[in-house]
Amino acid sequence: MSLAQINRQGELVYVRVSRGERRALLQILDRLEPLVDHSQWARPRAYQEEEDEAEFQRLVGTDLADSRAADLAQVREALESDERILLSPDGAIAWLRALNVLRLALAERLGITADGWEEQHTLQEHRRPPLATLHLLSWIQEGLVEALSVS
Amino acid sequence: MSAINELAVKQTDSEHKNKVRRDRPWQVVVWNDPVTLMSYVVFVFRRLFAYDLATATRLMLQVHNEGKAVVATEPRERAEVAVAQLHAHGLQATLARD
Repeated sequence: MSLAQINRQGELVYVRVSRGERRALLQILDRLEPLVDHSQWARPRAYQEEEDEAEFQRLVGTDLADSRAADLAQVREALESDERILLSPDGAIAWLRALNVLRLALAERLGITADGWEEQHTLQEHRRPPLATLHLLSWIQEGLVEALSVS
Repeated sequence: MSAINELAVKQTDSEHKNKVRRDRPWQVVVWNDPVTLMSYVVFVFRRLFAYDLATATRLMLQVHNEGKAVVATEPRERAEVAVAQLHAHGLQATLARD
């Protein structure tokens, strides 16, 4: 299986996914997006004190869900349009956030709760879904970080 | 001192204490999770706090090895903005009094 190619082109970030990766990524979006807002980490606490926390959530809680949905929509829209994608720096950062959300949602579904989970699986298990899906998301996220870090 | 004046002084005193409490720096604490990529955490720290690579990497490793790290100390409102931005990037972050 080929892996997505990601590199910097001037100010932009170029992402090239194979047909199979594109299909896989859209399936991941279909399956995981409905779970995202119900995930444990989807409404993170800022304060221990209930009163402070309620005020914080009142101020930013909706924004957080909305921005998460907007990031995921950007990824879906790009994947639906082409296998060759050019992203602005802000677009690439939206992809990074969206991929992180998808990795967290998938990890929660897989019951990953502690460090060291990678060593608990065989190489064969890592090569098959659902772990292979997690690794595909990681690969793209690493590639975007690397591309955005080029000065 | 009249009762009203005394109350006014007490209220001013109390308001002053509240203001001091609000103005005291708050810590922005980032917590470890077993999934988020280390390179992404470094990227987010550099982007949000303008840290150099060495500082961002040291803080990321502290989160990873010790379970949490204080990544910034700010007045309350700025600390809240930082926590909201960290949450928007999918990191677990809380506020703690300095």
